[in-house]
Amino acid sequence: MPTLTPVTEEGRIYEFCILYPSDLTQKEESDLIKEIESIIEEVGGKQVAKDSWGKRGLAYTIGGHTEGNFIVYHYEVDPSKVRSVETALSITPKVLRHMIVKPPKGYEVVKYSEKFEMWLKEREKQEERKVREKEEALAKKVADRAKRTVKRTEVKKQEEKPAAQPTDKKKLSEELEKLISEDTLNL
Amino acid sequence: MKPNQKNERRGDPRKKKCAFCEKEVAYIDYKDYPTMKPYIDYFGNIFKRYYSGVCLKHQKMLRTAVERARFMGMMAYRK
Repeated sequence: MPTLTPVTEEGRIYEFCILYPSDLTQKEESDLIKEIESIIEEVGGKQVAKDSWGKRGLAYTIGGHTEGNFIVYHYEVDPSKVRSVETALSITPKVLRHMIVKPPKGYEVVKYSEKFEMWLKEREKQEERKVREKEEALAKKVADRAKRTVKRTEVKKQEEKPAAQPTDKKKLSEELEKLISEDTLNL
Repeated sequence: MKPNQKNERRGDPRKKKCAFCEKEVAYIDYKDYPTMKPYIDYFGNIFKRYYSGVCLKHQKMLRTAVERARFMGMMAYRK
């Protein structure tokens, strides 16, 4: 959803990122979301965009939780009332982390929940490709080795043959001479 | 060892160009894990500018983005 965020009159766009535990029941979760939204809307905030990321693993444990749900809101709020929202959010239970950020000028709202999944899929594909390339390289190596061994054996055979032939020639010549001599005798 | 041999092996770090400047990035988002990931080492530290070739302007942006991501639990402080 790449839309430029317009600032109207005295309002300003703020980004609210909220982290809450993922092991809540559905009712608790919906209540929590309603509470958070009401906190911001009480001050006169208008929702511009909402992006719920769903269950996501955390890089470190926060309040004993290893997994959490992220929600990213974009609200248009009066700048003087942001501090009260901040304090209210810090008091609300079940909110593990919250952050309010003022996005820069010309900021485009991007749904990172979709982007992250796309990235994960791409990474999987890349890993698969890597594995395939490795296997191909291994197969090539094996084939090369087989060829080399075949060549070596051929070379060895060729080396053996010329060594054997002279002896054969000598023998043959000797035999021939013998035969000739015998033949002559017979004749 | 000749001075050229060293450069052949690992490339001159001074010749690197900022990847963010080439794309004309105006803002690095703390939610954008894939773009930040290559500038983080195994232990979760941000790479020095000298090694990654990022310009000072974008390194500062990257630092704020990574710090925000760390606070929200998207990125590790220390592995």
